[in-house]
Amino acid sequence: MPRPEQKLIKLTIDGREIEAVEGTMLVDAAKQGDVEIPYFCYERRLGQPVGACRMCLVEIEGIPKLQTSCSTGVRDGMVVHTQTERVHEAQNAIVEFLLVNHPLDCPVCDKGGECPLQDISFGWGLGRTRVVEPKRHFQKPLALSPLIAIDRERCILCYRCVRFSQEIAEDWQLIFADRGSHTFVSTHDGHPYVAPFSGNIVELCPVGALTSQPYRFRARPWDIEGAGGVCTLCPAQCNVEFTVRDEKVVRVLIREHDGVDDGWLCDKGRFAYQAIHVDERITRPLVRDGGQLRPVSWERAFETAAEIARHQGRTAALVGGGASNEEAFLLQRLLREGLYSHDIDSRPGGALPLELARTLAAPALQASVPDLEFAHTVLVLGTEPLDEIPILDLRIRKGVRRNGVKLAIASPRPSALDPNAAVSLRYAPDGEAAFLSALEAALGHASSGSGDDVASLAELLRSGGEDVVIVYGESLAPAALESLVRIARLLGLEGRDGAGLLGVPASANGRGVREAGALPNAGPGYAELGAPRGRDAAAIAAAAAGGELSALYLLEVDPVRELPDRAAWEAALHHAGLVIAHASVLTDGLRDHATVIFPAESHAEKEGTVVHPDGRLQRLRAAIAHPGEVRAGWSVIAELARRCGHDLGVLTSSMAFRQLVAAVPFYAGITLEQIGGRGVRWPERPEAAALPAGGGSAQTPGAAAGTVQPAAAGQTNGHLRLGTYRSIWAAPEVEISPALHYTIAEQLVELSPADARRLEVGDGDEVLVGSGGTRLRGRAAVRTGVPEGTAFLATGIAQASANHLTEPLVEVRRA
Amino acid sequence: MGYDPSADVIEVMRHPPRGPVAGTYRIFGETLRGLKTTFARVVEGPHTIQYPEEKTPVYPRFRGRHKLHRFEDTGLEKCVGCSLCAAACPADCIRVVAAENTPENRVSAGERYAAVYEINLSRCIFCGYCEVACPFDAITMGHDYELSDYTRSDLIFTKEMLLAEPIERTPLRVPGE
Ligand code: SF4
Ligand code: SF4
Ligand code: SF4
Ligand code: SF4
Ligand code: FES
Repeated sequence: MPRPEQKLIKLTIDGREIEAVEGTMLVDAAKQGDVEIPYFCYERRLGQPVGACRMCLVEIEGIPKLQTSCSTGVRDGMVVHTQTERVHEAQNAIVEFLLVNHPLDCPVCDKGGECPLQDISFGWGLGRTRVVEPKRHFQKPLALSPLIAIDRERCILCYRCVRFSQEIAEDWQLIFADRGSHTFVSTHDGHPYVAPFSGNIVELCPVGALTSQPYRFRARPWDIEGAGGVCTLCPAQCNVEFTVRDEKVVRVLIREHDGVDDGWLCDKGRFAYQAIHVDERITRPLVRDGGQLRPVSWERAFETAAEIARHQGRTAALVGGGASNEEAFLLQRLLREGLYSHDIDSRPGGALPLELARTLAAPALQASVPDLEFAHTVLVLGTEPLDEIPILDLRIRKGVRRNGVKLAIASPRPSALDPNAAVSLRYAPDGEAAFLSALEAALGHASSGSGDDVASLAELLRSGGEDVVIVYGESLAPAALESLVRIARLLGLEGRDGAGLLGVPASANGRGVREAGALPNAGPGYAELGAPRGRDAAAIAAAAAGGELSALYLLEVDPVRELPDRAAWEAALHHAGLVIAHASVLTDGLRDHATVIFPAESHAEKEGTVVHPDGRLQRLRAAIAHPGEVRAGWSVIAELARRCGHDLGVLTSSMAFRQLVAAVPFYAGITLEQIGGRGVRWPERPEAAALPAGGGSAQTPGAAAGTVQPAAAGQTNGHLRLGTYRSIWAAPEVEISPALHYTIAEQLVELSPADARRLEVGDGDEVLVGSGGTRLRGRAAVRTGVPEGTAFLATGIAQASANHLTEPLVEVRRA
Repeated sequence: MGYDPSADVIEVMRHPPRGPVAGTYRIFGETLRGLKTTFARVVEGPHTIQYPEEKTPVYPRFRGRHKLHRFEDTGLEKCVGCSLCAAACPADCIRVVAAENTPENRVSAGERYAAVYEINLSRCIFCGYCEVACPFDAITMGHDYELSDYTRSDLIFTKEMLLAEPIERTPLRVPGE
């Protein structure tokens, strides 16, 4: 569905002439025209109004009764009054009604001071009560979930939380139980409301009925300051506002940005701020001394790390996590200019051919986040948005629900979006190239007519409408990405507004660090390198284990934890003479092998820029001072470079940004001021043309086209194919956040019911998964959507992560 | 160059020039009139209060050092840590950090209590707004005005100090005094 056309109309509110887009609700139009109408239940982000609270009544000329302005669309020539006697009387009455059962325990209520009910009672209420009858009572406070406390006495039954659960997150857990004045909010089964987006209802609730457990009683609005920032715990890079009290982040709120997050946050972004202020965090430099990591002075840490200068040509670097563009840029300068090595990578799955990387980054092929909402068709390919870029899961649901977007899903593992999809198909865990060439072939034939899944997907893509957005995961193999580009061209997505590709990188700022040059085969801005190309991640591991590389620089990544093939990385780190890491949590690989650990900044402390998967440069601002002895990442790299005898000429983070802009042609002219709080999408700027064009390789149809064999099922010998998934919660920050402890799960081995029956494994049984000589212990989870013949294991978790396993086939049995 | 006011400028009014008689009166007569009050006090004798041995009694509504209160029956603190006093304070000298009561550790009557309650008396202007703001009459202004100390940090009064029964050092003025 293309974006609806916006028609401006004129109406009069309280004698003021107001221009508004046709179809907006009267409350919103009034707000634009500086007329304030009080309301509780209406919330634009929740979609259709319900008119539950009646607070927003206004008088409209020509309509005898008062109307709810939240559910009345504006019309041309409408004349509205909000200040008449009748309206005032109605408002007074509604406030009185709302307070009939309201406890008014403002002094102990966490909402006090920022409570719409307080404000509206004060501004539009009568100021006294006539109620002498007892109020209704509930047990309070109760835990609605480990994250949310519910106080049912304070609830004004506005439906906001219930609508969020049912229409936004679509988890269908919250309901109104009972009727009349006994109505209360509850989960339908009485179990805790555990869902990945549950924290949003705390911010939605217009009273103190739903409050955050971690923030409970922490501060009052006048004790705190709000500091805008960007969450870099996942690639969605939602805009947030940190609530800061006494130099500590105590809460994370939304900072609504239609182009990024649409005003929602996932619970990881909302609650993992706790990792900033826990004892587990590394806040002092550590150096390995006699086999033990010990806290040392910065001077000592720099001295030890400066040894890297003796590993010229034998140093490799990995960039991951929330590293900013500046950090990645300075590190690749240190490596390339100071240490004569191109061995730097940021892509777990291995480097892409440069031409392909350029093609995929080309402005003509980029879709933006809002495009997901207005496309005709959205194809989710090889990624699970809920886990990898959670906020897009909500965005896609919104498009399907409100705008009739047709959703197609093609992935190895069942997706949370499957119930919303028009077409949903599975391919084998490593069968994406075969699947895509089959799709390409099916798109090529005018009409295949055959009823198989690939054909119906092709049919949907071809005839569902021109605006197609393809959201693809980074795990796709280069061959698959080549066919993806050809498919995009076949569908005419190139250069089309509102259509294109949206790549989901594995790490939060994956796109940014690559544009800053953290690639083995390209410099900043995907620039061609001279003759020597560097090694990619897997080759770095092999070379380090084989002794060809002697020093490793790990910028906010622990490869043992994050990258595939744990054994290879353990060997690599073990054999490297010098391992320098920037980290905030002591994960396994670092604990056992790091020589020097510099404490890394959290996303609330960093100054710098990051790039959203859709090309939006966003700015990180320091909300709090560095705790302990933490120093800025860019300054650590700059200082280390100076001590290695290669001064990078960087004294402030904005100098680093200016160097980056000078080095990346398609960023030319961008300033920090322009980026500001809302970001700048570089593919939309004319300078984007400076991105070197990708080659023609993508135009020749791959030789594989025609081999329609998505799932090679044969010769498994009773073994199962190994697929991996990374849960939204699989992050070190989550593990050390006390509020999120309940999310830490053991290895869940997802099996299809048929396989489970064959292996005589029941749901919840302990199982052993093995391949080669490795055995992992996990718990079986039997899911109906899992295709037969495949087992899915969690990766990125602390214990028994799937990256222990390297073979494509695994044996599963009862433990 | 002289200033030539135009016709529409209102002329400045001056008092008539002062003669020698008027001048002399102003110098001696007015001065003596003022001194009359001074000499009259001399006759009354000295009025020195020998502070600190003697103290000026204060009125009942005198605003001196704050006190926090407990319920007399249960012994629970009245303060629920709502921070309203901190919001009202124009000198920004109250710091409240709230925490939650648990069945094992019940400090106040409500859901929350003040885990930290500090008043920086070196910044307090004794306006009494905190007392007015408090919804539970948990904080009131006492009568003690003897608040000097050797370091500034000693003037940050903690919850324990404010809850403790203050030493009654200041006499209260009795009616009619
Ligand atoms: S919800 Fe608002 S009005 Fe009700 S007790 Fe809390 S602060 Fe007071
Ligand atoms: S809990 Fe809050 S959001 Fe939910 S219905 Fe009650 S008042 Fe509304
Ligand atoms: S008396 Fe006035 S200045 Fe002193 S603590 Fe109370 S409100 Fe603040
Ligand atoms: S003294 Fe009164 S106003 Fe201040 S925090 Fe305690 S209860 Fe609230
Ligand atoms: S806001 Fe209109 S009825 Fe609630």
